[in-house]
Amino acid sequence: MPPRLRRLVLTAHITASVGWLGAVACFLALAVVGLTSQDPQTVRGAYLVMEPAAWYLLVPLALTSLLTGILQSLGTTWGLFWHYWVLFKLLINLVATIVLLTYMETFALMAAVAADPSADLGEVRNPSPALHAALALLLLVVATVLAVYKPRGMTSYGQRKQHQRRAGLPRHRQDAPPTVSRP
Amino acid sequence: MADPTRPPDTQPHTTPRWVKVFAIIAAVVIVLVIIMLVTGGPGRHGPSRHTGGLGGPTLPASVTDDGV
Repeated sequence: MPPRLRRLVLTAHITASVGWLGAVACFLALAVVGLTSQDPQTVRGAYLVMEPAAWYLLVPLALTSLLTGILQSLGTTWGLFWHYWVLFKLLINLVATIVLLTYMETFALMAAVAADPSADLGEVRNPSPALHAALALLLLVVATVLAVYKPRGMTSYGQRKQHQRRAGLPRHRQDAPPTVSRP
Repeated sequence: MADPTRPPDTQPHTTPRWVKVFAIIAAVVIVLVIIMLVTGGPGRHGPSRHTGGLGGPTLPASVTDDGV
């Protein structure tokens, strides 16, 4: 990947990933307000706003993070399946995105209950968003830590590919360290 | 995902301890999710709410009566 494009994709990836984490933190705050507020309008409003906010914020950020992460991995020598930390990040991103997309139905159901004036406040309140937001926050923090620390460890696939790449190089280059996509 | 601020690893292949710990945690979480899917989960917020089956999400009668 050309250096300028790589930096652009990296910037998009960091922005989307950290933005996703921040958005999930806001959802956790919203869920706590929905559970604890004594004002009926505030409680209903919290559950009503979750669905559109998730469609316009969480879903685009999650998909952008996933797509730019895959592009960034494939466009550099890190690869997508070579290093454990990249693989774990991919799995975390995939699982979180799939759970989010399946959870959209629950957001719609909670909004429908909140919009119904005859529904009791006890029916409107739901601990599920707080639980899901807390778990998502934990997962995304782990992904961020992995991205920053990049703990060592190569998969057996990455090891094989590295040997193949070295075997394909001229003899005087075989001991040279692997290069990264630098400008 | 892959910021190349340091060169990739070049050590011989051994599975690092942190990977084993992560794998064990992931396996435990997967087993817990499967158990919650099968049993319907505690209270109203088990994973089965998202699957549409096994006690999936339901609307109160007041909402379904209005055809929502």
